[in-house]
Amino acid sequence: MEMLEQVFGSITVVEPRGRIDSVTAKEFGEHLSKLLNAGRHQLVIDLKSISYISSAGFRQLLIVSKTTKEKNGKLALCGISGEVKRLFDIGAFNDLFFIYPTREDGIAKLQ
Amino acid sequence: MTVATHQVETRIQNRIPAIASVADLVSSFCAAHKLSQQLLVALSVSLDEALNNIISYGYSDAGDHSILVRLAYEPGSVAATIEDDGNFFDPLSVKRRDLHSPDRVGGYGIHFITNLMDDVQYGCQHGINRLVMRKRIV
Repeated sequence: MEMLEQVFGSITVVEPRGRIDSVTAKEFGEHLSKLLNAGRHQLVIDLKSISYISSAGFRQLLIVSKTTKEKNGKLALCGISGEVKRLFDIGAFNDLFFIYPTREDGIAKLQ
Repeated sequence: MTVATHQVETRIQNRIPAIASVADLVSSFCAAHKLSQQLLVALSVSLDEALNNIISYGYSDAGDHSILVRLAYEPGSVAATIEDDGNFFDPLSVKRRDLHSPDRVGGYGIHFITNLMDDVQYGCQHGINRLVMRKRIV
């Protein structure tokens, strides 16, 4: 899957594109794990360009959230709207992540 | 893949990467029938969850198995059907998970299916599991 990446000082913004499903979730998780293992512990994941995320993708987000905490880092999600927001609501995931409207808000909160 | 007037179907191998072709089929099916993004997401996620469960846990052997996926445009609704020859498993019998458990990691596929679709039916006949998931067109 395509993933755009931008670095703002100690903060890394990752923007996955397309579907985060059973097929792509592993690659998505491995990409984020590599960043964490490389010392990039301040992550903003911008979900504005994904069409949907299934439970395999949510599982990767939960793993990254746990790993980030273990490394005393911070994880923020942003760009969640429409049907993707509905999936977060159905899974009751809103309380498990720090969620902000835009990546600018996410970056500001992590700084 | 065969294409009928209001129905498309495909067969995939019991391997996770094969699910990508089903996602592509759902996209083209929804585009052809001008279905909403809500319906596309409901069908895509539900099929992903069901197929992932079947492929990951449905077989006692490591051999190749064929799974049928059919999408049907019906009056007022869309039906997604999956037929597989895996172990007998009624997904609707799965106990509801605690969504507020602090150590939750996964296993919420059935929860997504029952919340995204309007009607879900399971049956098993002659060793074939058949899952039919329907969503109303609004």
